Parts: sequence; C-alpha cells; structure tokens
Amino acid sequence: MTAILVVDEPENPLRRAALVEGKNDFASVTNIIAGVAEKRTPKGWYLMFGCAIALLLNLGAMIGYLVFNGIGVWGNNIPVGWGWPIVNFVFWIGIGHAGTLISAILFLFRQKWRTSINRASEAMTIFAVMAAGIFPAIHVGRIWVIYWVFPLPNQMSLWPNFKSPLLWDVFAVSTYFTISALFWFVGLIPDLATFRDRAMKAGRTVAAKAYGVFAFGWHGSNRHWIHYEKAYLILAALSTPLVLSVHSIVSFDFAVSLLPGWHTTIFPPYFVAGAIFSGFGMVITLMVPARQWLGLHELITLNHLDNIAKILLLTGTMVGYAYGMEFFIAWYSGVEYEQFCFINRATGPYWWAYWIMVTCNVVSPQFFWIRSIRRNPMALFVISIFVNIGMWFERFVITVSSLNRDFMPSSWGYFSPTLIDVLTYVGSFGLFFTFFLLFCRFLPILAISEVKGVMPEANPHHGGHHGASNGGHH
Amino acid sequence: MTNNTKWGVVAEFDSAASIYHAAEKVTHHGYTRVDAHTPFPVHGLDRALRQGPSPLGWIVVCCGATGICLAQLMMWWMNGHDYVFWVSGKTPYAWPSTIPITFECMVLLSGFGAVFGMFGLNRLPRLHHPIFRHSTIWRATDDRFFLSIEATDPKFDSRETVRFLESIGGKHVEIVEE
Amino acid sequence: MTATAHMTAPSLQQLAPTIVPKVKDGDLATAQLGALVLGAALIGGAWATGGERFYFSYLVGYMGVLGICLGALFFTMVQHITRAGWGICVRRLAENIMGALPLMALLFVPIYVGFDHLFHHWVHPDPNDHLVAGKSAWLNKNFFVARIVIYFAIWIAMAFFFRRASLQQDENGDPAVSLRLSRVAAPGLLLFALSVTFAAFDWIMSLDPHWFSTIFGLTYFAGAYMAFFAFTILMAKWLGKRGYLRGAITVEHYHDLGKLMFAFVVFWTYTNFSQYMLIWYANLPEETRWFADRAEGGWGAIGTLLVFGHFFIPFGFLMSRHVKRNGVTLSIGAILLLVVHCFDMQFLILPTAGSHEQGPAEHGAGHVANAAEAVETGIARFTHDFGTYLHGVHWADFGCFVGLFFVLVGATLWNVRRANLVPLRDPRLAEALHFQNF
Repeated sequence: MTAILVVDEPENPLRRAALVEGKNDFASVTNIIAGVAEKRTPKGWYLMFGCAIALLLNLGAMIGYLVFNGIGVWGNNIPVGWGWPIVNFVFWIGIGHAGTLISAILFLFRQKWRTSINRASEAMTIFAVMAAGIFPAIHVGRIWVIYWVFPLPNQMSLWPNFKSPLLWDVFAVSTYFTISALFWFVGLIPDLATFRDRAMKAGRTVAAKAYGVFAFGWHGSNRHWIHYEKAYLILAALSTPLVLSVHSIVSFDFAVSLLPGWHTTIFPPYFVAGAIFSGFGMVITLMVPARQWLGLHELITLNHLDNIAKILLLTGTMVGYAYGMEFFIAWYSGVEYEQFCFINRATGPYWWAYWIMVTCNVVSPQFFWIRSIRRNPMALFVISIFVNIGMWFERFVITVSSLNRDFMPSSWGYFSPTLIDVLTYVGSFGLFFTFFLLFCRFLPILAISEVKGVMPEANPHHGGHHGASNGGHH
Repeated sequence: MTNNTKWGVVAEFDSAASIYHAAEKVTHHGYTRVDAHTPFPVHGLDRALRQGPSPLGWIVVCCGATGICLAQLMMWWMNGHDYVFWVSGKTPYAWPSTIPITFECMVLLSGFGAVFGMFGLNRLPRLHHPIFRHSTIWRATDDRFFLSIEATDPKFDSRETVRFLESIGGKHVEIVEE
Repeated sequence: MTATAHMTAPSLQQLAPTIVPKVKDGDLATAQLGALVLGAALIGGAWATGGERFYFSYLVGYMGVLGICLGALFFTMVQHITRAGWGICVRRLAENIMGALPLMALLFVPIYVGFDHLFHHWVHPDPNDHLVAGKSAWLNKNFFVARIVIYFAIWIAMAFFFRRASLQQDENGDPAVSLRLSRVAAPGLLLFALSVTFAAFDWIMSLDPHWFSTIFGLTYFAGAYMAFFAFTILMAKWLGKRGYLRGAITVEHYHDLGKLMFAFVVFWTYTNFSQYMLIWYANLPEETRWFADRAEGGWGAIGTLLVFGHFFIPFGFLMSRHVKRNGVTLSIGAILLLVVHCFDMQFLILPTAGSHEQGPAEHGAGHVANAAEAVETGIARFTHDFGTYLHGVHWADFGCFVGLFFVLVGATLWNVRRANLVPLRDPRLAEALHFQNF
C-alpha cells in the first residue's frame, strides 16, 4: 500500500487535534485559568473598566432624561414608530444567542471544542440579554407601570393580551434570561469550588468565603456528578429549543403584522440564523483580545478560532439565503406592496443601510473560505467587527425601511435618530462591558472542570496508567 | 475517638485511571457506601462505583407538564373567561397564539425542575461536609482524585479499610471525623 | 503547523475482523428483485386504476421518496463537513441510498408526462389572472424543464462524486480523501440548499401558483430529512437481521439516529408552526387561501392528524432513551413517521388536485364555551372530516408512495450488494466502531 502525504496536522483525519495545546496537565490548566482572577489587577483593566462605567453612567443619565421627558426625545415618530430602541433590542438579544448555542447545541452535538469558549460566551449572553431587556422596558414610556406586562391582578381587573407577540417577548426574554443564568451558574459551581479551595489554601479567607458561598459546598462527589451531568444534559436539551424559540418570537413581533418586508414566513429561522451569526461575531470580538491579553493561547487555540469562523461562514450564508428568498418570493408573490418594499430597500432612501448590511453580513464572512484567514486572529477580529455592524444594520433595515414607506404616500417619512438615541445605544455597551469586565476579573472565564474533562488523560482508559506518550504528566 | 464520630476514610489517587481501578477494586471487595471525589466527572466511574442513574428526568418531565397546564389555564382563564376580549380578529382563546407562551412556561418550569431538582438530590447547598477535614482534599477540585468509604458501611473497619485503601495505591489515607 | 505525515488508515480487517465487509455473492438478490417488482407492480396498478388522479398520487409518492434520497445526500455531506466520527458506517448506507438518485431522475418521467395536468393552474391560466401572468418568467414550461435538468444534474453529480470517492478510499486508504470531501461538502451544501428549495417551490408550491411562502423549502426539507432517518433505521435494522452491519451499526448508532429523527420531528413542527401561525395571524387572503383549501374536503382531519401523528405522538414516544435504544420500539417509531410523511405529502399536494369550485368552509370558528364541549365538537368534526377524506382519497395516494418506497429499497439493496458494507479504510472508522453515547 502506498503511503500518502497528509497535509497539515490539525486537519489530519487520522487523529483529532488536541483541544489543549502545550505541555499542560490538570494542575496547569487550573493555574492558567485561576491565575487570571488571582493575579494583581492589570492597569489596562482599570482603564477599560473606567470607560465602561462612564458609558454606564451615561446610559443611566439617558434613561433618566427619557423617563422625565417622554419618548419624544427619541427620533421615533409616525410613520417610523419603532426606531432605534427596537433595533437595539433585537441587536442585543441576537448577540445573546451564541452563548446558549455554544453551551447547549454544541454540547448536544458533542463538539468538545466548545469547552474553552462556552463560559465566557454564556456570560456574554446574560449581559447581552440584560442590555436588550432595557430597551423594550423603557420604550413603554411609563416604566413605572411596567408590571402591567405581567399577568398580575391590578386595579383595572385587566389581564395582559396573550395574543400580542410583544407579550410573548416578555415571557420569552425573561425565560431565556432565567434559564441562561441558571445554566451558567450550574456550570460555574465546580469552578467556584476550585477558586474556593485555592483561596483557602493561599490563606485568602475573604475570597474563600465569598467563592464558598456560591460554590454551595461542592466537593466533587461522584454521586453529585451523576445528578449534575444529568441536569446539564437536560438544561442543554431545554435550551436548544429555547434559543430557537426566543429569536423566533422576536421575529414574530414583526412577522405577524401585515407590513411588507415584515410579514414573511421565513422570518423565524432567518432571525435565529442571524442571531447565531451576530452572537458568534461578538464572541470573536471579545475572545480574540481576551485570549491575547490573558495568555489563553494554549486553551483557546487556533483550531477553536477556525471553528468559530466556519460557523460564521455558515450562518452568514444562511442569512444570505434568507435575504435571497425574501427577494425571490417578493417578486414571485406578485404582490405589488411586497415588490415595492424590497426594491425600496435596495434603492430607496435607505439604500446605504441595505448595502452595508449585505456587505457586512453576506460578503465579509465569505473571506472565511480561506483557511489562513480563519486562523489569523487579527483578520478574525476585524471581520467580526464588520459582522457586528452588519447585524445592527440588518435590524435597522428591517425596522425602518419597512416603516418609512406607509401604504399611503402622504404618510411617507424619513427617520433620523436624535443624539439621545445614539447616546442610549452607546450607553448600553457600557452596561455590557461593565459586567463583562467584572466577570473577566473575578470569575473563572473558562470552564475549568470541562476543559479538564476533554483532555486525553481524563479518560480512565487512557494509555495504560500515566507517563504515556501523549505528554500529560511530566 | 470512638467509632461513632468517624465519618469515614478518604484516600488520594493521582489520575483518572487509578481512581477508576481503585473504585472497581473497592466495590469488588464488597464495600457499598463508597464515593469518589474528582475535579471533573470521570467517564464510567458511576458503573465502577455501582451508583445508579439519576431520576432527575422524571422530575423534569413532571415540571414541564405542570408548566404546560398552568400556561394554558392562565391564558384560557384570563383572556377567554375572566375578562373576555376580542382583539385582532381572533377568538378570545385562540390556540395558535397560546403556543409561544405555553412553550416558554414549559421550558421555565422544566429548567427550575432540572436545577433545583439537582440541588435537592445532591443535598446542596450545604455549609460544611466532613470530607473537608481531609488534609489534601482541596486538590479534589484541582488535579487529584479521592475515594471515600463511609463509617456506616457494613464492612467498614478503621484499621482494615485504611490498610485496604493503601494496598490499592491510595495516598494520604486518612480517617475523617464527623 | 504543517508537519507532514506518511500514514494510511487502518483497515476494518485490523480493527474489527469479525464484521462482515461485504454482502455474500447472490445474497439479498431475491429481496432486491422482490422489492423492485412489488414497487413496479404497485405503481403500475396505480397508473392503471388512477386515471388523471394518478399523476397527483404519483407526485405524493415521488416527493416523499425523493426526499429520502436527498436526505441521504445531505447526511453524507454533513458527516464530511463536520468531520464526524460516530456515523462512518451509517454514512455508507446513506451513500447507497443516494446512489438511487439517477433512478429517481428516470422516475421523474411520469411527472413530466402528467405535467399539463399537474400544473394546469399556471400552464393553462385564466387569461384574466394577472398574478399568474406576472410569474411567467419563472413559471413557464421551458424554464421549468431546464430547472429539472439543473436540479438533477447537481444532485446526481454530487451523489456520484461523494460515493465514488468514498468507495475509492476503501481501496487506497488515503486519509486525504476525507479531507478533500470535507472541503467539497461546504459549497456542496450551498448548492444543495438552493436546489432543494427551488425544487420544492417548483414541484409542490407551484401547484397552487397564487400561494407563496418563503419558508416552504425548509419545511419540505425538514420532513424529508426526518423520513431519511426513519428509512435508514429500518434499512439498517433489516440488514442487521440478515446478518450484515452487526458490530458496525450498534445500539449506540441507533440511539444517535433516533435522536436525529426526533430532532427533525421537532424541526418539522417548528417550520410548519412558523408558517401556519404567521399566515393565520396576519390573515391575508392571498396566503390563507392555501390553508382554507386544506380545511375543506376532509383535509382538516389530515391537518389534525399531522399535528398529532407528526408531532405529539412521536415526540412523546421517542423522547425516552430506552425507546431509542430498543430495536423494536425504534422501528415502530420509524414506520409511524414514514406513514405520516406520506400523509404530509398528501396534505401538501392533493388538495390542489380537486376543483376549486367549492363554497366557503361551513364550520366557522365558533366560540366554544367550555373545554369538554370543545373536545366533543372537535372529535365530531374530526370524525366527519376524516370520513370525507376517506371518501375522496384514492388507494393510489398511498400505493404510489409504497411502490416508490419499495423501488428505493430495491435500488438501495442493489448498491448495498455491490459496495462494501462499511467504509473499510476511513480514517475515523475506529472512532465509529468504538463510539459510545454519554
């Protein structure tokens, strides 16, 4: 039999590339990850945290200004009754989809490479959902009666209208937030126990107590692991349809209406694909610098980045498929309003937004056909920024370009945001980054126990006893 | 110290493979109240320790069914019975529009069932556990693997059990008090 | 990172010498012939007794069975692109199923023959129908036929390419083949998505040229892929009974196939609910018309049947791990899903077979006072509608599906008998053989 030249090692079909690179064992994995939280706080962190806090304060100020003055401070006006707030809401909730996708769907598909990125992505999910939740809440105008959206008895003996997709959003987003937070917390418990034990050993009593409270007395008992793994599997199985449902329900906000450009049956899967796309974009935007600054190269390897880039290519192309189907069916339907709407999108007053959207979402990920770009962190980072921009514009195009041309030409209008719109949006990044930086500083940013679990020496039948060739124990 | 205040014996092992083989030997030797303490779930250890599967699935199914029923009841009663309103050309209770919220409630209650059911089955949170008295147990969340045999085990004998655990390769074999 | 290695994959002989690598000479020949003859007889009988209705019946069966072949093509490409290890042995079976695609192209002939009849709404449109006239750039016979050629060219070329490369790897054990296929699968999937979408638009959606739905391609694909898993499970089980694939497709693989079948039961429901709910909610006459057609002539009962048979029952049944790991229960689930897949195709295709000259539906959405009454009237309506359905349905509406199903069984066996039963020297074969679920 002739011997065959196989190209490069990471793609060699004969063996799986190592998920943890370098000469690492269990102890060194713990050291790398726990070290991030135990080291002295770097100066750069204070700088970034200061900026994030400033933006957060700005968000508070904007919300205060809005509550005192009313929705008129925004650019929303007839015919564009839904402006930036809904765009920002969908933008953030979309970003909040990658974490659960990585932790749940990739888990069910046994994609072990997820272990080194799932923790940070889940954290990102939760903070993004928090940022998202602000916008519809303040958009109701009289935020002090926001409790009317919940099925609570009130003085008017009125119940919420369960036929309203906006109410479905309330249930979907709050369920999603709750389940994501629980999922995240359950995953954190064993790692918090690691932090607790290390702090105890190092004599940092306050830290040990603080981590200990949240570690719930975890001591790695195998009986506990049995229930724990079952719970994790069930949460993954629940989160998978949940993550699909949330963005589907967000899409229903638009798609149940009669509005051309909103009412189309592909919206639910199309929104889900877009959400995953934007979420993975944000994962890259956060993880490439974090990997660099926190020295996580051996745990978040180029293979990981390569895989994320492939998912970006896949979902970006799916989004492109949906754009294409919308256009084709708009023509095929023979409905003149549909046809006008789509031609107006591409050539009307918001043509620039449409083409930014297409360029960023469909064209920019096509670079990921090239392997060397997928494995170049800098290129990935740059393209991920384009993805973030493109996905914001997608929501802008859907919202504004469908609304600005009413059925009656006398009601046509042009939407312009106000400074308050812009500053509120920028402020929401402050909220997101404040929490994310706190998370990076104090919590295990990689799932320690899960990373250990996918190392070859975690298998009890691995290479006889230890000291084998795979270089685990030295 | 009398036997009454002893919680059990704890031994340290240094790899997933060695804890697995130790667990097999311990259960094969007839010990029943045994457990392992590991930094991550070791594949197959439940079988080696003869620990049964988790009943959590049933708890979750019950919670999910409750969620479906409660959601349907809520929407039917509030919109279709207590304060009937006709809106957007739909009947007061229109099943297609109840699906999203029914689904969300099912997931929410199932998720609660999974998480709180897991805590309940594990008797967590707890403030203290005797095993924390072991001198190197802190490494159970780092890179070492521990095996414990409780004093309530019918075969437990403080001297014999310690010797047995040492004979199968355990290090730092210590008697841990209640 | 570009270390080179000179390696070949270990062979099945080295990994698991007990697994039978190939069907014995002459074995299964009777079954193959029997399936083909039975299939041909059923289709022939349907043709002889069906009259003009036959073309619609045939389309039901054809779209149902074609979906299984397309599912096999999709499965093969997904296995390659994800570099999956678990499903290597299942993949060979999928390759053998998609090997029937050239035959499926041949079996398109009756649809071409019945073309004028099937697509008469746009082939001979009402001259005042400006909507259909506006679509003539897409819905015209020449372009339609050209598209048929394009779709089959894409599918047959891809199926041929993937199957041949895989069979070649059996001989040379070259791991680079796997690498190459995983790269080709990416653009392959793109072509697949577009071709299947437009095929579903052309061959089902355009039966009613007024109606349109952007998700339609996805709903067709979801049901088809589910049917592929059901078919694969049954084929593998049957081959296992005949002594083949033992040790290659084990309970662990069936468990995974069961999970995927379950997942696509749910995905089918998701896409169909999205389509139905959005159209129901917006209530635009140009869209609801399609569902109104499916509330008349007894089709309402089939809609209800699909909700239960295509979702609630299989969902509850297949949820348990034990059901998926038990050969008998899993096969029962697979058979059930193939039957409802036939109903699904009928629901999509047959309501346009009749005339459109019916009055409005007699049962408006009345306000029902309590749940018990709702259930009672619901059951009464279902029974009534189902009676109407049985009155209108032709045996060929099932006969063609079953006939084409057996033709596919025969064609698959033809391929199974000629190729190795598992990819003998796939680099990830060891992983597949030792695979265990968590």
